[in-house]
Amino acid sequence: MLHQFNYLAPRTRAELHGVLAAEGPAACLLAGGTDLLVNIRAGFMKPRVVVDAKKVEGFSGLSWSEREGLVIRAGVTINQILRDARTSIDFPLLVACGRDLASHQLRNRATVVGNIVNASPGADMTPALLCLRAHVTISSKRGEREVPLKAFFKGVKRTVLARDEVVDRIVVPAASKGARGDYFKLKRINGHDLGIVGVALCVDRDGELRVGVSACAPVPLLIEGLDADAPADEVVAAVMAAIKPITDVRASKEYRRHMVEYFVRRLLDEVRS
Amino acid sequence: MKINVTINGAAYEREVPEHVTLLRFLREYVGLAGTKEGCGGGECGACTVILDGRAVNACLVLAAEVDGATLRTIEGEAVNGEHSELQKAFSRRHAVQCGYCTPGMVMSARALIERNPKPSVEEIKEGLEGNFCRCTGYVQIIEAVLEATGQPAANQEGSHA
Repeated sequence: MLHQFNYLAPRTRAELHGVLAAEGPAACLLAGGTDLLVNIRAGFMKPRVVVDAKKVEGFSGLSWSEREGLVIRAGVTINQILRDARTSIDFPLLVACGRDLASHQLRNRATVVGNIVNASPGADMTPALLCLRAHVTISSKRGEREVPLKAFFKGVKRTVLARDEVVDRIVVPAASKGARGDYFKLKRINGHDLGIVGVALCVDRDGELRVGVSACAPVPLLIEGLDADAPADEVVAAVMAAIKPITDVRASKEYRRHMVEYFVRRLLDEVRS
Repeated sequence: MKINVTINGAAYEREVPEHVTLLRFLREYVGLAGTKEGCGGGECGACTVILDGRAVNACLVLAAEVDGATLRTIEGEAVNGEHSELQKAFSRRHAVQCGYCTPGMVMSARALIERNPKPSVEEIKEGLEGNFCRCTGYVQIIEAVLEATGQPAANQEGSHA
C-alpha cells in the first residue's frame, strides 16, 4: 500500500468519538476493510489515520429481543448473519441478500453496517434492510440520534453522516420478524460480482407488501404501502414509477427496467405460492 | 507497531508500520512467501489465509488488525515435508497448472472442509467463489476437493463446468 497512515483501535465509544471529533476529515473508519483498503490502495482515499471500529466495546455481536428487535452492531459481518440460526428463520430476506454479496472471503470480513455506510446504490444488504424498515443509530461526541434507513442515503456514496459521526448499529424492528420475501440480483456471472440490478420484496405479518431496489437510482429505493394482495400490474407500476436507472458500463437503462419488472413478477409469484 | 501472532502453530513478534497489510506482513516481515498477491483488491483470492478459523483475503486486512490472532497459511499444510491429503488430491487431480492461485485455493478449501467435512459440488463452488484460476480450470479443482473429502469424482471430467 503506497499511502501511509496511522492505525488506531479505540476500546470505548467515548474514545472513538474523541478521535473522530479531533481528526475530522483526516480520519477514516475501518470495519471490514473490504471497501476502505481497496479505496486507499487505488488512491481514492488518503486518510491520515484509520480508526478500527471493531474493537470498540459494544460494537460486536448480533442480538435479538422482542422489545428492541434484531440489533446488528457495527462489527457484525455478512457471514455472521448467514450463520445465525434465528436470523435465517425470522429474517430470511436478510439471508437472501447476504448470500449474494461478494465472495466467501469478503463475507467473512465485510460488515452489514459498512455495506450501508458505504452508500453504494448497488449495495446488496440495503434492499432487505429497507424492506424490513430498519433504522440506524448514529452517535458522536455531540450525542446520539436514530435515523430510518430510508432517510439515511443522500446520493451516490453520500449519507446523512457528519464527519464526526459513526453508525453504532442497525436495528430491524421486531414487527418485521417473520416477513416473507426474497432477493433477486442480476449479475454477469453466477459467482462474485456487483449487481446490475437487485430487487427485494417482502410481505410482513400485517399484510403490507414492500419492495427494495438497488442500482436503479442514485440511492437504494423503497416502495412501500402496497397491499399484499395487490394485482401484480399495480405492484409493477408502483416500482417502475419509482426507479430511475441509468445506462453505464454494466447495463443500459432499458435492460435494467426490463429486469426489474421481470424480478418483481417472479418475486410476487414466489411470495404468493 | 509491535504485532504478535501465531502462524501455523508458531509464535511470531514483528515491528511493522501501521499501514502494512497482512499480505505484506506475511511475505516480507515473516518471510512466508507462499501466500501470493494477485489483484491486491479482494477480487481474486490468491492471498487467502485462515484468520481465527475464517478464510480471508490477506490483502484486505491490516497487520495491525491481527495482533493476537491465530493464522494459518499454505506453509502449514505439509507436515515434515509431506503434503497434506488436500494437497495430494490437488496434485493427483491435476488441479494445479501454473500454481499461482493454488495456495489461496487450498486455504479456501481447507476452511470449507473444516466447517463442512463433506461439501457438495454446489457448496465447493460457493466456498471457492472468491478464488480465481486463469489456467487450470475449475473442474479439476472441484474434483480435488471432492476426492480429499472422500467423495471420489470418478469419470466426471467436464461435468461440473
